[in-house]
Amino acid sequence: MGWHDDLQKGVCEGEEEDASAAARAALEEGVEAGVVLNAAIEGVYEAGRLWQDDEYFLPDVVLACEAFREVMTMLEPGLRAGTGCWKGRVVIGTVEGDAHDLGKNIVMAMLRASMYEVVDLGVDVPAARFVEAVREHDARVLGLGAYMTTTMRNIEGVVAALIAAGLRSRVKVIVGGAAVTEEYADAVGADGYGEDAFAAVRLADRLLEVS
Amino acid sequence: MGVYARLNRALAYSKGLRVFELDGFERLIAGFFGRPDRVPVLIQPYTYAMGIHGLSSRIFFREPVPFVNASYNTTKYFGFDFFTPVFDFYNIELEAMGAALVWRHGSEPDVDSRSPLIPSEEEFRKLKPPVPGKSGRMPYILESYRRFMDIMELPPMCYCCSPFTMAVLARGYVGFLRDMRRNPAFAHRLMEFLSMEVVVPWIDSMVKVAHPSMVVMSDAWASAPNMKVDAVREFCLPYVQKVIKATNSLMRTVLDTGSWGEREAGDPREILDVKMEMMAGNPVSALRPLFLLVWAEDYEALGVPVVREYSDEKNVCLMLNVRPELIEEGPPERIFETVRGLIRDGAGKGRFALLANLVPIGTPHEHVHALVQAARSLGRYTMTGRKLGKGGYEPTRHEPFEDWLKREGLPVD
Repeated sequence: MGWHDDLQKGVCEGEEEDASAAARAALEEGVEAGVVLNAAIEGVYEAGRLWQDDEYFLPDVVLACEAFREVMTMLEPGLRAGTGCWKGRVVIGTVEGDAHDLGKNIVMAMLRASMYEVVDLGVDVPAARFVEAVREHDARVLGLGAYMTTTMRNIEGVVAALIAAGLRSRVKVIVGGAAVTEEYADAVGADGYGEDAFAAVRLADRLLEVS
Repeated sequence: MGVYARLNRALAYSKGLRVFELDGFERLIAGFFGRPDRVPVLIQPYTYAMGIHGLSSRIFFREPVPFVNASYNTTKYFGFDFFTPVFDFYNIELEAMGAALVWRHGSEPDVDSRSPLIPSEEEFRKLKPPVPGKSGRMPYILESYRRFMDIMELPPMCYCCSPFTMAVLARGYVGFLRDMRRNPAFAHRLMEFLSMEVVVPWIDSMVKVAHPSMVVMSDAWASAPNMKVDAVREFCLPYVQKVIKATNSLMRTVLDTGSWGEREAGDPREILDVKMEMMAGNPVSALRPLFLLVWAEDYEALGVPVVREYSDEKNVCLMLNVRPELIEEGPPERIFETVRGLIRDGAGKGRFALLANLVPIGTPHEHVHALVQAARSLGRYTMTGRKLGKGGYEPTRHEPFEDWLKREGLPVD
């Protein structure tokens, strides 16, 4: 197999070392970072397809997303130097009090695979930090995750802080996570709710009117 | 009256000897084994107790007297049948081995997932087990159990972290997934260490102090969809069984619970079966397993009758939690009617209990009162079966908590 198939397979199967080695080989051959990225995207999308078809379980997808993330980290300098084909910039994080990042990391991988530039604020992020990051990065989308019933209420605080900072109209707020529901998203004035990582990407595309 | 006398009374009542009144503890035990006078409601007061007493997390989760007294007050004020002194049970052993915790206002602490305790196999070789009962906040737990026994004149239900969830927290989720896939020998060595050198000695030291009749290992990371059933069967269940074998006795059930995800499986029985095996913690077959705990997300997706039928088939008590967000959001009428539905579909002819857990801080007191009122008025058992109450929610004036606390509560400062 050539680098393309090795990379695609490595990402899909969550073998980050194989995937990174294939990506490195491609770059050394002089292949453009964008072309290498496409193979990695095929791999992570294939993992997502297998998940939706119930052939993959969540741990398989998480490992595929981790492999994709490592390849992206390697490719990012080359991608930044290229012509640029991002759909938009997304700031993402898990709300204050919540240390879970599993779902967020999958959403990040799928957003990146869909050509969104993602700024990850990590977990347990205070409302003020979200506001600061939206302003600093001129984000078009803010993704908020909450995975516990006890922390879900902090989403409201972030939305309120955006309003107070005069930024609410500049950014689309999308929410998700195990504790969150569509009704809750509507109630707190979010722009949308993503049931899973794929839905989150579709939602961002729809809100930004890109595809 | 001693604990064994109370257990006997509860057992006798549950089998039809209805010649005396049950207290809350006896009602719960009768609910485990048969038919009490009404559906028992258990509470894990946890951060809700912290919130209504205005305590900081550093006090509530570090100081035995405020922790146990606040938990007790919360139980008494709202009229729950019994409480378990639940603390941040996923953290204790890891913290005792040196893991960093993140402390937050108004919430329990968490193990800092950004810096796993065991970043590599090399680091694992250097790891020392805690000194049972002495390291980290273990003394806080043991002293809290002593305090519980002073107040309740009963042994507490003791809690610890299961070895599997401990492994995931110690290595990080992705790290342990990779261990299980690529380095299973190391994953098994880690599980062996955590089971036999961390969990078993810790249970032994809790047993020495508190003489519990039940020890619960909590196992969130053994839940679907986080883990596949085959991974749980290979890397979790054998070690749960080892711990149980090393620590249970005729009078002490040791079990692993806290996992969920039945709704995620094509066949929910696949996961229910694993849960039952993990809860089979007593050498007496009649006490094995004691109950089946199914969480709201799962029974709402599957339907309560499905899990009731399963627990009937296994001849085991069914315990359902009431969804915490429902209790928070209310209104009381909705809480009341939801409990009516749970009792109608779940209470059967006995062997049933309700659990209030993770009630969010700030939940209106009226909502919690509505939950208790519903269980008391709707969940009556008769000699031959169950009588589902017909009445609706009745708004009731309750003494404000602050007034009750001054009059009857235990001090928390």
